[in-house]
Amino acid sequence: MTTITAETLNAGYGGRPILTDLDLTVPPGVVTAIVGANACGKSTLLRCLSRLLKPSSGQVVLEGRSIRDMPTRQLARVLGLLPQSPIAPDGITVADLVSHGRHPHQGMLSRWTQADDIAVAHALEATRTAELADRDVDELSGGQRQRVWIAMALAQETDILLLDEPTTFLDIAHQIEVLDLLVDLNCRRGTTIVMVLHDLNLAARYADHLVAMRQGQVHAAGSPERVLTEDMVEQVFGVPCRVMTDPTSGQPMMLPLGRHLTPPEPARKELSA
Amino acid sequence: MSAVEHSDTTAWIGTLRAARSRGRLRLVAIMSALVVLGVLATLMTGPTLTTPGQLLRIFSGHDVPGASFAVTELRLPRATLSVLTGMSFGLGGVIFQTLLRNPLASPDIIGISAGASAAAVFAIVILGWSGAAVSVTAVIAGLGIALLIYLLAWRDRVSGARLILVGIGLAAMLDSLIAYVLSRAPSWTLQDALRWLTGSVNGATLDEALPLMLALLVLGGLLLARRGNLEAMRLGDDTAAALGVPLARDKVIAVMAAVGLIAVATAVSGPIAFVAFLSGPIAKRIAGPGRSPLIPAALVGALLVLIGDYTGQHLLAGRFPVGVVTGALGAPYLIYLIIRSNRTGRET
Repeated sequence: MTTITAETLNAGYGGRPILTDLDLTVPPGVVTAIVGANACGKSTLLRCLSRLLKPSSGQVVLEGRSIRDMPTRQLARVLGLLPQSPIAPDGITVADLVSHGRHPHQGMLSRWTQADDIAVAHALEATRTAELADRDVDELSGGQRQRVWIAMALAQETDILLLDEPTTFLDIAHQIEVLDLLVDLNCRRGTTIVMVLHDLNLAARYADHLVAMRQGQVHAAGSPERVLTEDMVEQVFGVPCRVMTDPTSGQPMMLPLGRHLTPPEPARKELSA
Repeated sequence: MSAVEHSDTTAWIGTLRAARSRGRLRLVAIMSALVVLGVLATLMTGPTLTTPGQLLRIFSGHDVPGASFAVTELRLPRATLSVLTGMSFGLGGVIFQTLLRNPLASPDIIGISAGASAAAVFAIVILGWSGAAVSVTAVIAGLGIALLIYLLAWRDRVSGARLILVGIGLAAMLDSLIAYVLSRAPSWTLQDALRWLTGSVNGATLDEALPLMLALLVLGGLLLARRGNLEAMRLGDDTAAALGVPLARDKVIAVMAAVGLIAVATAVSGPIAFVAFLSGPIAKRIAGPGRSPLIPAALVGALLVLIGDYTGQHLLAGRFPVGVVTGALGAPYLIYLIIRSNRTGRET
């Protein structure tokens, strides 16, 4: 199992600090969700973990080694990232896009092999996009397209997969589909998944490990039961809420109160109790 | 998922890939054949028509009175230079267009050709240099202009649109610099002036082909060897980096190689108008979407110069250098692109 940790990470853009002395250990082999308010540094953290952004101090350690010292291609064989808005070149087919995932496994001299075809086929089947292989990515629905991007990351066959808001712009059915797919991947291949999510309830439902970020630091990290509390939501998001147990999953579930809430009589009693 | 389905999908993926690479190969074969036809047409056409039989005799070392000189001394260098400059412009252009994801980002629009041309004309007319020294000067100037555009377009990061606008401005300045140098020349001909302003293969010699051939082999080979990384970069910088592409290094390599190709060709033939700009989009139209059409763009470039030169020499009343013809072809397309990008309000 590959462990990735961030040690007193400081990073930002153009001198503006975003992460300040951030420490994080991603438990291997489980699904981790990172939550937090807008601009709290979730994406920046993901960019540092995947070496897209060089921290101004501190380091990211993978298998006991600073990722700064790893060759780019070697890192890409262990750690994959699906950015928030990847670009599909005009008219590229699904099979060609997913084939890009094999890039780090190919050298200057080694050519495309049957093993690459097999990896691409596995990735297509795992994401149920095999029947789309010869279609243009432009023609697909949002949910299909996201599955194809995940297929590309799967074809990369990394131990760790980072995803920046993989469910944004998807309707609820496609959100569930994508999250189910990521859990499948975690169960079947043991892939460590780290994803930034906006929906707290989906994060608590799907993640084994929840990380709440606030102002460039980790505010709380641990199991969803421990992290998703009324205090945490109040402190991290500034939203008063109630947390109860989701009757379908047994995981904690958050209900925001808001300013205009007038609860029905029985609930009001319960709330004031 | 059953094993049968797995192997089915694997086979299908393999079939799709094989079909596409066969299609690409066929396209390159057809286009190469067209280039050969274009070369033959250039070799055969003159004040009198030289037959293929006569060409064979000339190239097997026989002397054909009235044709040998014209074919070996005039038309062969002309055809050779047309093909080599066309390929250099086509390949250099499509690299820029692919890297910046915008057909307007061609080196002949954003001033890189004009920079190389200005340096070449300065070295030739004012300093009296010739040969490799001119090529080297042009390459250095091309790289200098590329760096200047990049720095002028920098604000936190470089946006494609700003870079193109800065480049168009610089190109206009450099064009006037070329005109100024030409006007200061002790003696200049209309031919020379046209060569440095729009490009021409008039007065070509085979000696000039050597640096071009070297540049194409070395730089073109380098670009083709790294095309996997170039393709991955089309997915966006973050995705490419996550796929293990050393972005900073590969961008610099690609830009320097493309500038080198453009500058060496410009030092020989002048900035043949719009060949770099047109080749990529035409190749893409022919090859269809998918991979960035590097080899097809080089072949389209060769065809554009061959056809443009043939048209200017033999089909129009009066004799025009190739750049006048390709310029007339390219200008409407440029206007079309600008109108379209304005209408849709985004970069094409």
